[in-house]
Amino acid sequence: MAALPRRIIKETQRLMQEPVPGISAVPDDSNARYFHVIVTGPEDSPFEGGLFKLELFLPEDYPMSAPKVRFITKIYHPNIDRLGRICLDILKDKWSPALQIRTVLLSIQALLSAPNPDDPLANDVAELWKVNESEAIRNAKEWTRRYAMDN
Amino acid sequence: MEQFEQLLTCAICLDRYRNPKLLPCQHSFCMEPCLEGLVDYVRRQVKCPECRAEHRIPYQGVQGFPTNVTLQRFLELHIEITGELPDPTSGQVMERCNVCSEKAYCSYCTHCDKKICEECKGAHMEILKREISRINNQIRRGIHRLQDTLSLVEKNAQNIQTNCLSVGEEVEEIYRRLNKALKDRTEYLRGEIDRYLGTELRSLNTLKDNLSQEISNILSNCDLADKHMNENTDIWNDCELMDAKEIFLKTVEFIRNFEYENTDYTRRVRLVLAHDPNQLVLHVAGFGDLNIAGGTHFGQSSGLLQPPGGPGLMRSKSDHRLASQFRQAEERGYGDRGYGDTEDQVLGGRKFGERPKERHTDRYGRGGGTDYGEDYDHDSSRPSRSKYSRFRRHQTVDNDSDTEQTSKVRFNEQKPEREKTLDTEDVTRGPLSGITRLADSPTVMKKMQDFESGKNKKKDEVPPPQPTPQPKVVPKRPPPPATRQVSEEDEISRIKKLNKGATTSTETATTETRPVERESTEERQRKTPAPEAAISSNEETDESVTPLQQTQRKTAASKTATAATRRASDAGHKKSTRSASSDSTTSTESSTASSNAIRTTGAPFTTEEVKQKILSRTDNTSGVRTRSGSGSPKESPIQKPFQSRFLSKPAVAPVAAQNDEQTESSSEEVTEEEESEEDTTSKPETREMAKTDIGPLLARSANARDSSAENTRKTGPEDSYAKSKYATKEEPSRYTRSRPTVADDEPSRYGYTSRFLNKSKSTAAIPPEDDDHVSSTRYSSTADDENKYPASGRSRYMALKERRQRLARSRSSQQFGDEEEQDEPISPTSSNPSAYLASRGYGSAASAGHDLSRSRSSHALKSRETSPDRSATAAAEKDGAALSSWARYLKSKYGNRNGAKDKDSGATSATPSSSSSAAARRLSLGLPLRSSTELASSDDDSKNMQGSPTTHTVATAAAGIAQAVAGTSPRSQYLKKCQQLFEIGSRGSEPGSFTWPRGVAVGPDNSIVVADSSNHRVQVFDSNGRFLKEFGQYGNKEGEFDCLAGVAVNRIGQFIIADRYNHRIQVFDPSGRFLRTFGSQGTADGRFNYPWGITTDALGFIYVCDKENHRIQVFQSDGTFVGKFGTMGNKEGQLEHPHYIAVSNTNRVIVSDSNNHRIQIFDVNGKVITSFGSEGSDEGQFKFPRGVAVDDQGYICVADSGNNRIQIFHPDGTFLRAFGCWGIGKGEFKGLEGVAMTPNGHILVCDRENHRIQVF
Repeated sequence: MAALPRRIIKETQRLMQEPVPGISAVPDDSNARYFHVIVTGPEDSPFEGGLFKLELFLPEDYPMSAPKVRFITKIYHPNIDRLGRICLDILKDKWSPALQIRTVLLSIQALLSAPNPDDPLANDVAELWKVNESEAIRNAKEWTRRYAMDN
Repeated sequence: MEQFEQLLTCAICLDRYRNPKLLPCQHSFCMEPCLEGLVDYVRRQVKCPECRAEHRIPYQGVQGFPTNVTLQRFLELHIEITGELPDPTSGQVMERCNVCSEKAYCSYCTHCDKKICEECKGAHMEILKREISRINNQIRRGIHRLQDTLSLVEKNAQNIQTNCLSVGEEVEEIYRRLNKALKDRTEYLRGEIDRYLGTELRSLNTLKDNLSQEISNILSNCDLADKHMNENTDIWNDCELMDAKEIFLKTVEFIRNFEYENTDYTRRVRLVLAHDPNQLVLHVAGFGDLNIAGGTHFGQSSGLLQPPGGPGLMRSKSDHRLASQFRQAEERGYGDRGYGDTEDQVLGGRKFGERPKERHTDRYGRGGGTDYGEDYDHDSSRPSRSKYSRFRRHQTVDNDSDTEQTSKVRFNEQKPEREKTLDTEDVTRGPLSGITRLADSPTVMKKMQDFESGKNKKKDEVPPPQPTPQPKVVPKRPPPPATRQVSEEDEISRIKKLNKGATTSTETATTETRPVERESTEERQRKTPAPEAAISSNEETDESVTPLQQTQRKTAASKTATAATRRASDAGHKKSTRSASSDSTTSTESSTASSNAIRTTGAPFTTEEVKQKILSRTDNTSGVRTRSGSGSPKESPIQKPFQSRFLSKPAVAPVAAQNDEQTESSSEEVTEEEESEEDTTSKPETREMAKTDIGPLLARSANARDSSAENTRKTGPEDSYAKSKYATKEEPSRYTRSRPTVADDEPSRYGYTSRFLNKSKSTAAIPPEDDDHVSSTRYSSTADDENKYPASGRSRYMALKERRQRLARSRSSQQFGDEEEQDEPISPTSSNPSAYLASRGYGSAASAGHDLSRSRSSHALKSRETSPDRSATAAAEKDGAALSSWARYLKSKYGNRNGAKDKDSGATSATPSSSSSAAARRLSLGLPLRSSTELASSDDDSKNMQGSPTTHTVATAAAGIAQAVAGTSPRSQYLKKCQQLFEIGSRGSEPGSFTWPRGVAVGPDNSIVVADSSNHRVQVFDSNGRFLKEFGQYGNKEGEFDCLAGVAVNRIGQFIIADRYNHRIQVFDPSGRFLRTFGSQGTADGRFNYPWGITTDALGFIYVCDKENHRIQVFQSDGTFVGKFGTMGNKEGQLEHPHYIAVSNTNRVIVSDSNNHRIQIFDVNGKVITSFGSEGSDEGQFKFPRGVAVDDQGYICVADSGNNRIQIFHPDGTFLRAFGCWGIGKGEFKGLEGVAMTPNGHILVCDRENHRIQVF
């Protein structure tokens, strides 16, 4: 196993030293490329007050390719599917090496504030969001309360 | 400022810009690796990470983008302001690391001969350090051998001293007796002669007197008659005349008759000797010869000292490597250049910490000709660099054949900095091994000092404790006059001194001797008789400083002095030796004379003589030692100093010139005293003798004989001188000769023979295991000695008797396996159960039973005698010091078994047996052990003991104990299988849970050993599935795993684990402690590509499924590569992704040839015996078969992973039964991996995707 690139070390250090408000990312004990992430639900969103667990994995050729991020906590969101996979452009084709873990997580946090039902991953959720947004938001709040506020 | 820094930070690597390139969008990034990594090679464009603008890449690549000069200026400015160190890699060009293929600033790694990046290099250095520490541990573990040898040598020295003393006394005594007898006899004879002479003289005198009186009487009568008895005178009457006539007649008669018995008086005394006087003189002159049995003795001890091949060291793989390195070095060294070249040293002639030379000069030119040129010239005898490197590689490969990836042990590389330190040559080398003392190397010293000073700097306030001892030592050594030392850095010499001071047993002695050492320059040593040197040497020897220690404490600087003292110490050391050897001369004179000389420790001799003598002694008396010791290039250091100083010329000079040379130098070296006594005629003689091709010893004794008339004192040095010269001359040839000698010696000395012997002996021998092997054989040599065993006299006697019986029995029971012969004294004819029981004749009386059980338990140990390993066990059990963990394990194990057996015997003793004579009991002694283990099957031994299935069933049935297993044949037993007995584990990482378990094995006491692959650990359960212990964690260090796959447990309970992603095999002791590792990724012998299944046979050989290399590799239990078989393919004998492997007790190697959907069975040499199976899901067909197992009957169990079922086959490969299907329920499988069969017929199945072990 090759040693950890300096960039990852630097990023990790910076994440520890200057944590982003509302986001915590801790590398796994046994694998420094694997991060346990907790994102708080942004204010004024149906996810407010929730603590969402994510896992983030930096692939071998990071930063030349995007990190793999997935929600572990169940979430009712048009761009996040049942398995927690995230539909976010910067995690796909819009990835840029200038982005970092923190920026990715901030983007995800932002995605929670601004769901984009036009580019859905969870089709049923997106459908409801488009058809009956209040209902969807209620669902989202309900899920947040049920899954993201337990502990 | 922070923002300023941020501006200087590349957005990609988050590091300071290195060679910033400006994109057309005005964003800058480091050229390498940041911008390089962004390149879309297909579209030849680069997308700016900041603004996502796409730019065409210039023709020359990203280099073509303009450098952001402004930014660079800022960078420089920043450096100036902050004063931070400039990037050391600036100006360097990135290259692909030859190890991890990452682009990085590479530098040369001596470890792997490649240019690699810093990280890999760091890792390699880590590896090296680890290796060193491991080897160091081995050394530490092995050093006791040297120490043992040391004490042995000391003891020997003492012994030989006392021995020689007593022999001398004996000689003296005989001399006295002979003297007395001679004197007594002489006196007696003299007295006799005197007495005889006296009596004879007396009688002669009386005779003389009588005769003269007679004569005078007769004459007077005659005269009277003449005068007065003429006619003229008639004064006589008739009567008177008549009487006169009568008298005269009587006189005539007397004279006529008188015959003097001449013989009586011509008789002389003659000394009549019972023996021919010449013979007698010869007899007396040679009244005693000394039979020097020491020849072998010394040979032996020297053999122990032989550095590379030392048995203890030899056994570890890395030392194999060292040994082979030495051998290679030796071959090379003696092949093309004279002996004594530095090339022959451990580091291949390099100084410590120096990099191998050529590469630098050639490839980089960086080192500059100044530093390396000289060395390069020196090395120019080598044809070319490429050849050199090839040679090196060869060396490596060769080493690899020793199955260690970590084979490139080069101690020298510990310090990567190359330091051209000429004086390193002076570092002390072990006289036997030539191992330099690292602490003496200036490089090392500097390092240490740097380190220390660094430390000191860190804790500035605390005054460092180091300086204090330093001055203490310094005054003891007045500044050395040697120019070389003066030139040295003061610090270094001081540390040297320190080091020395540390090692000397008594510092005072050192200080005492040192002045002498230093004073005695070469010339002085040569010319002046140096009693001081002798004295100092005596002192040193009195401290019982052996040559080893002695040399250790010598400085490099005082090399010459070292030689002298070492020699002197040798003199002391060899005192006894010398007397023994000098006794080989025939004349009694010589022996006494030389022993006198010995007693005075050569005081009347010059140093030169002493030197020569010692030199000769080392060569002659321990001829074996030099010969065998020559296996390494280092044996020489003892001689080397002398050689170089005195003999280098003759050694190099043509033989023709040697005569002159010799006389010259010898006259130089022999004292005046001796020269005056010298018999010039004998001198050439001796020399000639020395020159002939007879061995030194022969030549020596011949010399001694020739010059026996000579003054013996002279003979000693004289001929030894010749000998020393001879020795030097002979060196090359001797070295060549030494090889076979070493090889011949090896078997007897090392454990290996027995291992191979065992192999050839097939079942007779039980495999001696692992590193304990050596010790085990060592013990086995003494094992026959009954006294070794801590048993009572009675049981000892029983064992003896029992063995005799066994011997007798083995004749009649040849169809039994040897193993059975040994342990099963029952003859086949008595296989009738009742007869069997009767013959066993357990004591009917309770007391007898008790007694019996006790004696039997001691017998449990006893019965193992016949096999080396077992005897070793017993011996080890006795020998607390040697009680290594495995021995302890065995002990406890056998202890347990004894307990079980006692129970068993208790049960059987209940069976009535009418006649329980003592003999019958003794007869039974061999039995209970076997039968109990057989029945209880609580022992992995039983796996190996069945010769044939029939005997097994007969025996088990005969024993008639209601065991679920015992009553049924395995066949029927297997036919019933399908019901899961129990299962272990579920998904998880806590103890008792699994994440993708793969390998499973049966350990001692039917414990279940599971390779919990993705938890990177081994878990051990008892036979009921209760968790016992776990060991291992994720990682690539010792004792860590990365997705281990196969697991095996050998006969002594060691765990052998295929550490899959680390591409190595690890061995753990029964308690789970790491023992050793071998292998690394690769395709060479002893390397692996995803090793998967693993197993071990009765002999302890390790079989590894080298999956991605599509082959099986076989190793000795210590990791030494033995062989391999299989190549990629689907023909017979070829393999494709072999996964698991099992070895039957008939040595059939069963391999699951997974991608060929078949099972192949090989013999131990890799020849295909049979194969069965094809792709499909019918009975006897497979889909990617994985786990295989074989029971002691030869029944084969296959985990048919693609069909999610277990199939059982007859030993011949015909289908017997299948069970299981896909699913998560009991008896259902998802993704089968390893299987194992316990001795009691259970089948353990690794149900990978269900994360559990199922037991059937």
